[in-house]
Amino acid sequence: MNLQELQTNFQDIVLNAECVGANWVSKSAQGLSAQDRLAIYHNAYRVRLIDVLLDTFEHTATYLGDDWFHQLASAYVQSHNSTHNNIGMYGQAFPLFLAEQLPHDREVSELALMDWKLRRAFDGAENTIMTQNHLQQIASGERQVSSLLPVATLSISTHHFNTLDIWHAINQDEHPPVVEQLPQPVDVLIWRKGHSPHFRSLSTIEASAITCVCSGHTMDAIGAALEKDFPDIDAATEFGLMLHRWIDDRLLAIDG
Amino acid sequence: MTFGFGLGLRTQHYNDFLDAPQPVDWLEVISDNYMVDGGKPLAILDRIRADYPMAMHGVSLSIGAINGLDTDYLNRLKVLEQRIEPMWVSDHLCWTGAHGRKLHDLMPLPFTHEALQVIERNVYQAQEALQRPLVLENVSSYVEFTTSEMTEWEFLTEICQATGCKLLLDINNIYVSAFNHGFSPSDFISGVPVDSVIQFHLAGHQDNGNHLIDTHDHPVCDGVWGLYQQALKHFGDVAIMVERDDKIPPLSELLAELGTARALADKVLNPKVAV
Repeated sequence: MNLQELQTNFQDIVLNAECVGANWVSKSAQGLSAQDRLAIYHNAYRVRLIDVLLDTFEHTATYLGDDWFHQLASAYVQSHNSTHNNIGMYGQAFPLFLAEQLPHDREVSELALMDWKLRRAFDGAENTIMTQNHLQQIASGERQVSSLLPVATLSISTHHFNTLDIWHAINQDEHPPVVEQLPQPVDVLIWRKGHSPHFRSLSTIEASAITCVCSGHTMDAIGAALEKDFPDIDAATEFGLMLHRWIDDRLLAIDG
Repeated sequence: MTFGFGLGLRTQHYNDFLDAPQPVDWLEVISDNYMVDGGKPLAILDRIRADYPMAMHGVSLSIGAINGLDTDYLNRLKVLEQRIEPMWVSDHLCWTGAHGRKLHDLMPLPFTHEALQVIERNVYQAQEALQRPLVLENVSSYVEFTTSEMTEWEFLTEICQATGCKLLLDINNIYVSAFNHGFSPSDFISGVPVDSVIQFHLAGHQDNGNHLIDTHDHPVCDGVWGLYQQALKHFGDVAIMVERDDKIPPLSELLAELGTARALADKVLNPKVAV
């Protein structure tokens, strides 16, 4: 058996649901069977990945409880091979997996997606943050920018349930509220401010404006879109207020 | 050159290192934990690096990968290496996955001439990218292969002689593998060329009766302390580090363990001359 065949065979034994023995394993000095020794790698693989899921999806795990989370995490590990060197990326498809597994408990996948996005914001890329000075330079024409630039850690997800309340309760070691469907879906903004991931819900007009920013629209185009979509609001004033808030929240980046 | 005594930097001890000087000569960081785009991990790393020399220690290079090293991983490793300017860059003598899948474990290699060729090619690739000798650590293992053609220490010696890479000897891993496979740990120690070793790891393991597991979640046991003294006699003054990866205790406990390592090294390397 050459090295490639051995690695392929060994990997298959680790990844398959049932651990089996192999005739390429030498006899043990301690009388342990080949299957028992291969099982050490088989078990370690599962323990390690489930631990990573527990760490990444801490609030989701608390919400589901140990047994249910472990059952779902085990099923995920068996059906999803890891392809990232960074073990922290392993849970990327876990929120979607939960949505498929728990179609009648959709708040679980919403909570998991929130856990995932907060974790990704934690060590996401750095940017030079736009300041009020930069904004004044842009307003005076001293600095030319074609469009606003969101920080790399910014993302938006749409919540259909009271997931934010559930997350807050769990975060404060309190009993989470009963799940409720929201009258209207709410967009939630996630990003990193300083060293800490942050999140907050967005009004309809702010969600629309930030979506425009993320799409690379010019400031003029954003203003025009807001005026068109929100005719009953003083969109120009609202856009100005939002701009100042985004800068205070460190949501915008500046080139160079 | 004397490097002295170090610890593995763990998140639980960040504040200890940020708040006050600690009695360690250097720190070892897990490279993979800092191969990220930004945020707190890198910011804290930079602050602590300003006060302590560092060694980089990775877990995902997969030096035994049959299809060569992952160039994206190697590039990220190089970026971190340039940021930290470490004393050296180490990883494990193992493979971590095949066909694009990652097992996130230190998988053992057969000690064959074919594996030597693969590893030597990969070590050259890593050393070319990093522009410095790579340092490889022996892993604990729970299987041996019928295809092996030499002992582990002969295998390590061949790699060092062919590539000029250096060794990080994990004394606990020698102890664990020797128990699991029934070889003499003393033979391992005496079989490795003295000038190839630049660092020791000292760690604990879990005793399951008929096999030992390299959990790195226990204090160093008496048997490993004994083997450490043998290794000191053979290899002399190398960089010595206590490594704990799970059930991380307060820093004071690890510093006490490092104190034991210092005292034993002093006893072995600087014996009092009887008058």
